[in-house]
Parts: sequence; C-alpha cells; structure tokens
Amino acid sequence: MLRAALSRILGTFRRRRLDEEFDDEVRSHLEMLEERFIARGMDPGEAFHAARREFGGVTQVKQDLRERRALPAISMLVEDVRHAFRQLGKAKGFTASVALTLALGIGASTAVFAVLNAVVLRPLPFAEPDRLMAFRSMDRRGTPRPTQLSYPDFFDFRKQNRVFEHLACYRDAGFTLTDSLPAIQVIGEIVSWDLFPTLGVQPELGRGFLPEEEKPGTHVVVLSHALWKSRFAGDKGILGRAIRINGILFTVVGVAPAGFQFPADAPAVELWVTLSEDVTASDQRGGRMLEAIGRLKPGVSAEQAQAQMDLVAGALAQQYPGNKNYAGTLVLPELERLTGSSVKPLLILLGAVAMLLLIACANVVNLLLARNTERGREFALRTALGASRPAIVRQVLIESLALGLLGTAGGVLLALGALNAVLPLAGESIPRVSQASIDGRVLAFSIVMAVLTSVLFSLAPAFQAAGADPAGALKESARSIARGHDRFRSALVVVQITLGLVLLVGAELLMASFLHLVQRDPGFRADHLLTFDIGLPEAQYNVARQTAFCDRLIEQLRAIPGVRAAATGRPLPLQGHQMRIAFDIEERPAAVPDRPRSDTAIVTPGYFGAMGIPLLKGRDFSEGDDAGAPPVLVVNQAFARKYFPAEDVIGKRIQPGAGQPPTPMREIVGVVGDAKQAELGADSDPIYYFPYKQLPWGIGTIVLRTAVPPLEVESAARAALASLDRQAAMHQIRTGEDLSARVIARMQFLIVLMGSFAAVALLLTGAGLYGVLSYAVARRRGEIGVRIALGAGRKEVLGLVFRQAMQLVAAGLILGLASAVAVGRLLETTMFGIRPGDPVILVGACCVLVITGMAAAYVPAARAASVDPMQALRSE
Amino acid sequence: MTKDRSEVLQGTLDLMVLKTLDALGPLHGYGIARRIEQLSEEMLRLNEGTVYASLLRLTQKGWIRSEWGASENNRKARFYSITKAGRKQLAREAESWERISSVIGRVLRLESQH
Repeated sequence: MLRAALSRILGTFRRRRLDEEFDDEVRSHLEMLEERFIARGMDPGEAFHAARREFGGVTQVKQDLRERRALPAISMLVEDVRHAFRQLGKAKGFTASVALTLALGIGASTAVFAVLNAVVLRPLPFAEPDRLMAFRSMDRRGTPRPTQLSYPDFFDFRKQNRVFEHLACYRDAGFTLTDSLPAIQVIGEIVSWDLFPTLGVQPELGRGFLPEEEKPGTHVVVLSHALWKSRFAGDKGILGRAIRINGILFTVVGVAPAGFQFPADAPAVELWVTLSEDVTASDQRGGRMLEAIGRLKPGVSAEQAQAQMDLVAGALAQQYPGNKNYAGTLVLPELERLTGSSVKPLLILLGAVAMLLLIACANVVNLLLARNTERGREFALRTALGASRPAIVRQVLIESLALGLLGTAGGVLLALGALNAVLPLAGESIPRVSQASIDGRVLAFSIVMAVLTSVLFSLAPAFQAAGADPAGALKESARSIARGHDRFRSALVVVQITLGLVLLVGAELLMASFLHLVQRDPGFRADHLLTFDIGLPEAQYNVARQTAFCDRLIEQLRAIPGVRAAATGRPLPLQGHQMRIAFDIEERPAAVPDRPRSDTAIVTPGYFGAMGIPLLKGRDFSEGDDAGAPPVLVVNQAFARKYFPAEDVIGKRIQPGAGQPPTPMREIVGVVGDAKQAELGADSDPIYYFPYKQLPWGIGTIVLRTAVPPLEVESAARAALASLDRQAAMHQIRTGEDLSARVIARMQFLIVLMGSFAAVALLLTGAGLYGVLSYAVARRRGEIGVRIALGAGRKEVLGLVFRQAMQLVAAGLILGLASAVAVGRLLETTMFGIRPGDPVILVGACCVLVITGMAAAYVPAARAASVDPMQALRSE
Repeated sequence: MTKDRSEVLQGTLDLMVLKTLDALGPLHGYGIARRIEQLSEEMLRLNEGTVYASLLRLTQKGWIRSEWGASENNRKARFYSITKAGRKQLAREAESWERISSVIGRVLRLESQH
C-alpha cells in the first residue's frame, strides 16, 4: 500500500516523462499489431485501423493510466487547473473583461473593509483593551444625555468607585513651550496621575506620574516621543531637567513610547501634565470639562460597573440637589466611544460595495453564460467522449475559481491604490482611518469574497454545462440550447439596474446634501478671512496684561498692509457648541435648573465687521464697554426670535450664568445676523456675545479681514506678534474656508466613495445590458434578416433593440425606486436639507439610467440595423 | 458500463499477467497480450490496452518490474518481469483462486440440481 502510494506521489511529479515513455510503449505495441495484421494479409490502411480496434481507445487508456499513475485528486485538480488556465489564456478578451469586472467589485469591497477594519475592528493598542471603559455622568435636563465631569465630580466618582482598577480623567489644552526659541505651541493633555497605568502603558524613558504629583504646586511633565526627538534631540539626559512651559518650569519625569496616542481621535498630543495645573477649577462642581476613562477590575462587566457607578451618582444627587448631572452614569467601551459615530457611515459604504459586488457578479455570470453557450458543443463533445457530468461541472467551477483569483489579485492592487487616493480625503474626520491598510485580516476577507463570489457566479453556468445534452447539442446549433437562459440573463440585468439605481440615488442624496452644506450661508463671509490662535506664556500675563497685550496686538495687526480689519473672538462660528451658558430673563425669572441655555462667544469690538456678520439693529460693542461700564450683550437674530418673539429685544436684560456666584444683569444693545455655531444642520442656533473686556478669558482667536489673499498676510502677522513678545506662539492658522473643512472632509470622503461606486455600478450595468443585447441581436440575426427582407426599415430594427433595452431598464427602475426610497431612509442621518424621497433626485437617477441604457443599446442596435438579409438568411 | 466490466476483470487479469510473466520470463505488453490471447483460445476478448493498466497496478505494488530493451524486430520496448514479491503473491492468489473457483463450482452445481 505504502509503496503504491509512494509511487503515485512520485508519478504526480514526473508526469510528463512518464507520459512520453508510455506513448513510446503504446506506439511499438500498435506497430507490432499492425505488422501482425499485415502478415495475415491486410493492407496497411486496414491494419492501421484494426490495430487500434484491437488495442481499444488509445486516448482513454492513456488518460486512465495517467490518472492511475498519480494521486487521483491532486492530479485531477492539477490537470483541471492547467486546463482552466489554458482555456482562459485562449480567450484573452473574455478573461480580461471578467478579471477586470471582478477586480472592480472586489477592490472596492476590500478598500472599504480595510477602512472598517482599521477604524472599528482593530482593538485599541493598549493592554487588555476590552477592559477600558469611557465614563460619563448623565445630565437629566431634557432627554438625559452623557456629559463631561467636573473635577469635584471626578474626585467623588474616583474615590467611591469599587469597580475600576483605575479611573483617570483627561482634557486637552494648548501649551506654549518657551524653553528655547522659537516658542512653539503644542497640544497637551491635563490628566490624573494614573492615566498611564489605566491604559497599561509604560513610558519609554523614566516614569509616569505619582499620586502625590496631583498636589497643587507640583509641575511635572511627560513628553511625547516625537517632541522628545524633535525638540530635545532624543537626549536621554532630559529626565529630571526643567523645561519652561507656559512660562513655568516643569520637571521632565518621563518620555512616552513612540506611537503612543491617546485619545486616538485627538490631534497628536505632545505632552502630559497632571491635574495640579487645573488647581483653579478643582473646586468648581459646575465646571464640566473632563473626559474619563477607567480600567475595569478583572471579572467586572460593564453593566456591573455602571450599576455601581449609578449608585454613586444617586448619592451625589442627594448630596447636591441643585446639580443636574447625577441622573446616572454611562460606562461604555472606549472603542465604542471612539468609533461609535463612524460605524454607520462605514456600514453604509459596506452596503454600497456589496451591491457593487453583486452587480459585478451579475456581469460575470452573463459573460460566463454567453461563453459557455458558445462552448456548449465543447461540453457536449466531452460528454460524448466519456467525461462525466461532475467532471464538467468541476471544470466550470475551477475555471470560475481561477477567474476569481485573478480578479482578487487585481482587486487587492486596486484597493491599495484606492486607499492611497481616498484616505487623505478623510483627514482626521474619522478616527484611526489613516491606519487603514491591507493586513492579514483584510486579505483573508478578499479571498473569502473571491471564493464566495466565484461559487455564486459559477452556479448558473455549472448547471447549464451539466444540463448539456450531448446528442441534442451536437445535432442542433449551439444557439437553440441557449434560449432557456435568455430569461435568466435578462433577469440578471434587471437586478443590476435595480441595484444601480439604489447606488445612484444614494450617491445623489449625499451629493445633494453636500452641495446644500457647502452653499449654505454660514452667516459670515468666509473669503479673505485669516484666523489663528496665539499661545502666551500664561504665567507672565495676568488678566490686565493680557487685555493690554490683546489691544496692542490688534492695533499692530490693523496696521499691516492688506489687512482691513482685525479682532478676536472665541469660539468662532462652525466650531460646534463649545460654550453654552444658561441665562435668566429679567422679565421671566426661572429656577436655576429650568433656565434656558444657548451658545455664547466673547468678542472684541469690530469682530462682527471683521467676520462679515451684519449688524441688524442697535450697536456693536465699543472700546468703552469695559469692566467699568454697564454690562452689555449683543445677540443674534435667532436668539431675539426665540426668546423675545413679539418684542423689541434692544434694551431687554438677561442674567447669564447659573446664579452662583451671581453675575450682573446685562442689557442687550445690538442684534447681529445668524452666524452658525454648529458644524451641521440647517437651523441657526441662538447665541449671545459678551464684550471681551467685561469677561476677559484669555485671548480669543484672531480674525483678520484682508484685502489680499489671506495667507499673504501670515508672515507679517507673525512678525507683529513676535515684536510684542518673542515667546508668544502662533498656531491653528486657518482661512475662512478652512473653518468649515472638518465636516466637509467627512462628507467628501463618503461622497467620493459613493460617487465612484455609483459610477462603476453604472459602467458595469451598461456593460451587462450591452452584453445581453448584443447576444440577443446575434441570436436573432436570422429573424432580423427576414424582417429587413420583408421591408422593415432601419428605424424599425433600431426600435426593436431599443424597445428590448427599455423594457429591461423599466423593469429595473420600478423595482429600484421602491428600494431606493427605503435605502434613502438609512442615509437620512448623514443628509442635510434633503429628504430621502426627493422627486428631483429620483427622477434624475432614473434619467441617468435610461441614458446609460440607451448608450448600451446603441451599438447592438446599429449592428442589428446593418444586418445584410441575404447573408443572415444564408447562414441560417 | 465498460468500467464495471473492467472492475470485475481487474483481479483476474492481474493474476493472468503475473502467471504469464512467471511462466515465460520477461515480456513486453504486446507479448503478454498475445500470450493471454493464445492461452484463452480466443475465448477472452480483451482490449489490449487494458493490459497496461494491469501492468501499472502490478508495478505500483512491486510485484513486477520493468526495463527498456529491444523487441525481436529491434523496436524500443519495455520488458516486464516478475519480482520475488510477485511470485509470493502469485502463489497466494493462485491458491485462493482455486479455492474460490472450486467453491463457486460446487455452488453452481447445487443450483443446477434444482
């Protein structure tokens, strides 16, 4: 047994030589037989045939022995694969079309899956990431919603929690490094001492923070690997050295490992300091600005943790009845917090590529069916020569797999290219998206897709091949076998059109909302606008010096040629609801928890002019609105409409703040146009503005209205800043157009992908329709010939083909419209200013498909019209 | 159908080929076919090609071996000869064949008495 197996294994590999040897052996056998017959008196011709009769089917014996010599399964497989590639090599055009179609489908799916993999599926790059939980308390005003923590909240939760090994808080802040010139502004995090242990991260150099380093007056810092390399040349002697940050000396205690990034959705953090830097905020229970992350104790579930933290919140709610932030807590896996909002758009994209892949498959099925119909005679012949049906089905399947592999190889290459092209569009709008790559999991996904699609698209051709009736196929022309498959192929095209319409409508909806968003009036003039932030060494600037610095800076900036106006404001429009403050209306006082809240901003005089926000009523702030003058406010139109709908808002008084400590009543002196604070959405939000001298709070973002292209004044502005303080840093330099960029980046990413998918889908659908029509025309050549011979004109013949095309398109559109509206609903949350059932969009998409259908039908129709009746009838 | 017949014949043919090689010494495929034809007195008509399947089976089991040589007419031919293992196998097979055929013979006689 063993021997036989061994000999078979050897035989598998020495196939060719053994074949040749056996050919020789058979040849001499046949010759000897012929000689024998000749000796008996036959003539050589007779003897030749008699010898072969006597021997039996030479080819069959050879094949039989070939199979017996080798391992049967492997040798058959090897043989079939060779055969498959040989067949594919013979039909280069066919192979190329199928491989390209598949490459498009698989490439798109691979690229989208790579993004999904990087953003959602990859675990966080920390030890035991499943135990990391984001933590929030719940605000019970309105629908309870998660809210950030204040320091007193955090300290209470941290002290009373029994479920977390560590509960750490963090918030980002800007820092100015002035240890050596030039001063630079970096983003840092203010954290509780145990952020590093919570994440399970060991500093690359030195240590993390110690619990006692949370005490006020301690100034210690951990540097990022990148900052250590760039600013301190990777000097290992950095530990223990004092560096100047915000004008204060900090002792460097550690350097974070390279690649450490937390939180993953923040811009690169360059340094970490402890919450001792937030000493002024540490007793303000209302100052909610902290994020928190905890590491669950082993064996504790998120639900258990939440239950215990809810108890703590309950106790706090009793202790502080005026505080509305203890309606409960939220314990959410950190990965979910990070990726939660990205999952849906990515799933939408995944759905879109799935449709694209189906469309591609339908095309491939059509191509295969057409090809196998032509090969019907080949299959029939093989059946007649003794090939079993399973053997023929196996051959069809293996050919499909070979095509699938070719397509996958192309698809993976395509995906690599697509990722490079498309990822920059997403920017930072989707966390971790830049890490998308083709890794093992993505590759495995593509291969699984390839095998699945190969099986899917080879089912129909395999049945077709297996059903081939040898006698019939050899007798009749190949065309007549195919008739039964025409309906199936038409159905495939209808499905393609249906899916194509859905994709197209999806892409159109996104594009329309994008246009809506881009063309929407932001309420300020984005052109000729330059904005930037400045970092001052804070320790050297008390409030009075800051205000004086701000005044001098604005004066200097206004003097720059090309600058028309300069002012500061914080926060600028389109940056989200950053500063919402409750207020009380003098005429309608309300209890603290029931007071309305709205956006606020702090601006200098001339801000509205510089931003291009029109003054509608009353007056702008003036230099006179300072700490000594009566407290005033400016509100926007939306504010006036919402809170004073029937009255003149000028002269009304409101009291901002929650009442503790009491703030003065402020008089509304002006109404300005609605500049949108939130990035998204069509509605304008109410906002009220404070004059900066009455609420000094750092220096706001500088805005310059320019007469020249805005970036041209950047260097002059930098020089002006340096002339006032060489340690001041300029950062976040943006033009007015950049202000709206973040939301646009995310939309752009979705739209470019959806748009390309829809375009490819159209192309493939067109190709599918073209294939079916061409085939129909070829099959009906005789009939068309008869019609022409009987006097049908060019128009009638063209109409014949176009009618068939439009019947298919119409069927697809009817099915597609219903599904498109349903799919549109899924997109609703990513859309602005447009409804999923928008008739213009739907009609537009249908028109595009009809045009595609016409284009696809044109060539076959023209071919039909130019059929030469004589020739067509003769060949019948 | 052709396949079924050859399945039945397979063991018999192998035994005949082994016996032929044992009796006549090294032979090529053609020679074996002639010898079987002769011995069976034309009662057994077989496609001569099937001899080669048998030869391959026997070679794979190590019961025969082959080497290239020249035929009587100086044609290149492969000569097969029985090995030691082949002889043992032949003895075993021949014995079991006789036993089976005598059993079958008895059974068939019983049937015909009815």
